[in-house]
Amino acid sequence: MADLYQKLVMLLGDDLTVLILGIVLTLGFIQFNSLFLIWLERKVAGHMQLRLGPMEVGPHGIIQTIADGIKLVGKQLITPRYVDKWLFMLAPVIVLMPVPLAFLVLPVHPGVVVLDMNVGILLIFGFSTLNVLTILMAGWGSHNKYSLLGAIRAVAQNIAYESPLLVTVITAVLWARSLNMSAIVDAQDKIWFVFTPWGALAFLIFLISATAETNRAPFDLPEAESELVAGFHTEYSGMRFAMFFLAEYTNMFIVSAVGVTLFLGGWRGPILPGFIWFLLKSYVLVFMFLWFRWTFPRVRFDQLLGFAWKVLLPIALVNLVVTGGAIKLIDLIR
Amino acid sequence: MSNLLIKEFSFILVYLLVGLGFAVTPIVISYLIGPVSRGPKRDEVYECGVETIGTAWVQFGITYYLFALMFLAFDVDVLYLFPVVVAFGKDFVIRDFIEIVIFLGILSLAIVYAWRKGVFDWTMK
Repeated sequence: MADLYQKLVMLLGDDLTVLILGIVLTLGFIQFNSLFLIWLERKVAGHMQLRLGPMEVGPHGIIQTIADGIKLVGKQLITPRYVDKWLFMLAPVIVLMPVPLAFLVLPVHPGVVVLDMNVGILLIFGFSTLNVLTILMAGWGSHNKYSLLGAIRAVAQNIAYESPLLVTVITAVLWARSLNMSAIVDAQDKIWFVFTPWGALAFLIFLISATAETNRAPFDLPEAESELVAGFHTEYSGMRFAMFFLAEYTNMFIVSAVGVTLFLGGWRGPILPGFIWFLLKSYVLVFMFLWFRWTFPRVRFDQLLGFAWKVLLPIALVNLVVTGGAIKLIDLIR
Repeated sequence: MSNLLIKEFSFILVYLLVGLGFAVTPIVISYLIGPVSRGPKRDEVYECGVETIGTAWVQFGITYYLFALMFLAFDVDVLYLFPVVVAFGKDFVIRDFIEIVIFLGILSLAIVYAWRKGVFDWTMK
């Protein structure tokens, strides 16, 4: 393996090798992750409701998602009559376009990161915001009342929870005093950020905000099927619909991976190699998102927005000040 | 521009283009191999299954707009915090902590103001 890598470096040069390997691994992982997560979601949903979930295709339905994917490729792409054509067709493309970028700066193993960028965390949050735009494009372009309502809800909800999310991220950055993802992991070599009192509170707020940002239950009002049919992707069919799902499940993993990097020490852990710890922790967080869905009932929309602005944001701001004070105290004692 | 900057930007550009290809390819494949059905009802808007009435591009609650305004003001301010927290505690003793408290205090006044004005109460406006 190392021998092959050396040969590649000799052949292509340093940067190009890293770039090509990074792209191949990223795309492969995005495919694998969404196939696995859709299967896991259905399995977890099934077992939590005392059902079995998919069982027919493959052992325990493990290749069910591949069969679903092949079915979706073979479907006709329908563009309804009154839609805004450009917005309607561009939305499923743009929703997936920035998704690989997050994997550019995620440190998955000691010293293994495609691009060790000094503003890594800003890059991830900068591009993940495009998600809101595509939801609005899809909802407005569909010429469908439910899509529009779902999209407006999604935008209001995403921007409401963006603020507490960013403040908790800033808290973690304050603790590490760097925007570089690898440096943030390095700063947690003595103690993971989540094991400090202010870090635990920040992690809790991060988890709640992340659930809302990825439009997961109990904050899945943009897609509330009992009132809005399917929300912003009601009019989408076939592969375009699949694009939204691919992006949603990858975003779930990305937000978990960012949470692991900021609060849970990234790839740190005993015995096992780093990337296994990284994946393990990330998937534990992803499992918690699946778990939430079958534990909490959906909230009302005004409660949702009120909770973000009146509860989460003030607590997050106070927590930021407390963290700053704690850092000063620790510095003074030293 | 330094070499490092060019390298970083080109990496990001390549990743964006790869993401574009990754999103477009399955849709093109699906377009090529998918079946084509015809009929008067094929291109109808689905909405909720029955025939649609009127346009969907209508006015909606102004409350959403107020929330968007709040966010805009807030997010720009939060952006200023990023350089502050990176420089925090490097050369200063206690001054930067006091400054961050003042900054966040003024920022919090915006929430207090909006709260008192009833922006967060969901009523018909």
